[in-house]
Amino acid sequence: MRQPRLDVLIVDDEPPARERLERLVAELPDWDVAGSCGSGGEALNLVSQLNPAVVLLDIRMPGMGGVEAARHLASLPAPPAVVFTTAYDEYAMEAFDARAVGYLLKPVRKERLEQALRQAGRLSASQLLEVASADEHTAPRQNIAVRVREELRLIPVKDIQFFRADHKYVTVHYAEGEHLIDESLKVLADEFAPEFVRIHRSILVAVAHIEAVEKDAEGKPVLRIRDSRETLPISRRRLGPLKRSLIAA
Amino acid sequence: MSKSGAISLTNGAALAAGGRSATEGRAPRPAGVWRSWRKLAFDPGAQDDFFLPDLCAPRMVLAVVLVSELLAIAFALAQPGGAAFLTDLARISLFVQWLGLSGAAVLCYSRRWLAGLSVPLAGSLAFMLLLGNTALLSEAAFLLGRNLSERGFNNTLFPTDHWAFLLRNQGICAIVSAMLLRYLFVAHQWRLHVREEARSRIHALQARIRPHFLFNSMNTIASLTRSDPSRAEEAVEDLADLFRATLKDSERPLRMKEELELSRIYQRIEELRLAERLKVKWRVNELPMRAIVPSLSVQPLLENAIYHGIEPLDGGGTVTVDGAVEGEDVVITVGNPLATELNGSARPGNRHALENIRQRLRLAYGDRGCVEVRETPERYEVTLRFPYEE
Repeated sequence: MRQPRLDVLIVDDEPPARERLERLVAELPDWDVAGSCGSGGEALNLVSQLNPAVVLLDIRMPGMGGVEAARHLASLPAPPAVVFTTAYDEYAMEAFDARAVGYLLKPVRKERLEQALRQAGRLSASQLLEVASADEHTAPRQNIAVRVREELRLIPVKDIQFFRADHKYVTVHYAEGEHLIDESLKVLADEFAPEFVRIHRSILVAVAHIEAVEKDAEGKPVLRIRDSRETLPISRRRLGPLKRSLIAA
Repeated sequence: MSKSGAISLTNGAALAAGGRSATEGRAPRPAGVWRSWRKLAFDPGAQDDFFLPDLCAPRMVLAVVLVSELLAIAFALAQPGGAAFLTDLARISLFVQWLGLSGAAVLCYSRRWLAGLSVPLAGSLAFMLLLGNTALLSEAAFLLGRNLSERGFNNTLFPTDHWAFLLRNQGICAIVSAMLLRYLFVAHQWRLHVREEARSRIHALQARIRPHFLFNSMNTIASLTRSDPSRAEEAVEDLADLFRATLKDSERPLRMKEELELSRIYQRIEELRLAERLKVKWRVNELPMRAIVPSLSVQPLLENAIYHGIEPLDGGGTVTVDGAVEGEDVVITVGNPLATELNGSARPGNRHALENIRQRLRLAYGDRGCVEVRETPERYEVTLRFPYEE
């Protein structure tokens, strides 16, 4: 008995590369092309709509690259499996090999493609984080993905005012509101330094959104955020480093 | 750099051993150290950038023993008389081996500390350490001899002339240590040089053939082979022309016309891949087509402009190539828009190609050839300037 055919989403910014992958997938007996697109951002939308089993993601794309797109996908409730594709990218290949993350070299051979699709696994957020940080050429993410019902919404990092950790969760605060995200403050602090600084055990602030550092009624240092009525507590031992980074900025 | 190689290796081995020891309850330290020694001695990757080798490595200990013994033989041969050669050799060997091995141990333990200093300072300190070691051991040997003879041993093994013995040993030690340290330094320089040369050859080759371009083009051709065979055929011909020019002796200069033709071929290949995202505006009518240009001077600039400028841009962009004759110079400027956070992702630089062109212009024209770079947040421009020759 035949297994039902599984869907594949193809993401590559170069039309010929996309066409070739579409054709190769269509020729495989167990797989179907669910769709294809040319950027990481579109891929996030299409994944929510099409629910493919596997996404073939090009690493180098203008705007959002493959590794960043995969990190956003990993935050979906039922993320698709991901296989990266690249023509040549020695840093990324090293990082993938070291963490058993699947990738295909272009031009892709049909047998390899079939094998990779069959073995494709879901990548965990921590696996992808390791890949991203192993490669010094990968820039920090430019967006933070939040889940609104079943869809992913991207918040540009430059719009984010601060992150606050609260028990197990972290909330991201930006001009239009706040959202829960499933990431640790430490990871965020490492990724977005020096644009974001820790001012408190549980608060990470965007330097660009700081309006003033002042004292509250009890004489404790607090921080005011631009275009927001929020004041945030500053812990004593972080006051010095904070002032230094404000002067540097 | 230098230290960290050795230190992290040792730590790595110690950590690996430490992981196990948690369950065994006892740190099997000798095994860990032994392993790291073996690693340093036999793993070529463990070679680090300090000129003093790790003298605790088994291979180096063997070398120290051999060199000491050769020295001892030389000293024994130089003894007047020669009737008691074997007795002399035994006595001298005992002392020289002692000096050699203890000197090696002193350097081995001070190596990490020395590696943090400048080479002249580290060299002088190593020299002083060896002299000090010899002085201490000589004094110890003399005292031991005196002590024994006071107890009634009539021993000819030990020296009787205190200061002469010490001074002789200092002199010999100074000469031998200076020669050895000098040798180690030169050998290390030579190793560095060989490694550097191999690396720069690879860089030169990558500056000519960017792997990223090669494999992307192959992928494009693989795709076109079925969808548009005649364009695939053209692309293969273009790629062949480009690689023929790239692999040819780069010393032979080209005419301007040929160089611009190569750049256009390159543009055609990239257009297949990037489609409407790539536009190139050529304003080169003023350029004298018969002028002689260094081969592959314009094409790599176009390649850089596309790789760093156009590819990371969301909607693509326009590369401009402007050419003019200014006085006696030919001036060619290649400019591209740069990706910012808003419209794409900036791409980290690879300066091999630019450095390569700069060197070749300097070789060909001396001070009269130059490469200028102008960079603003939105735009990147490279200008070539070299004398007009036909």
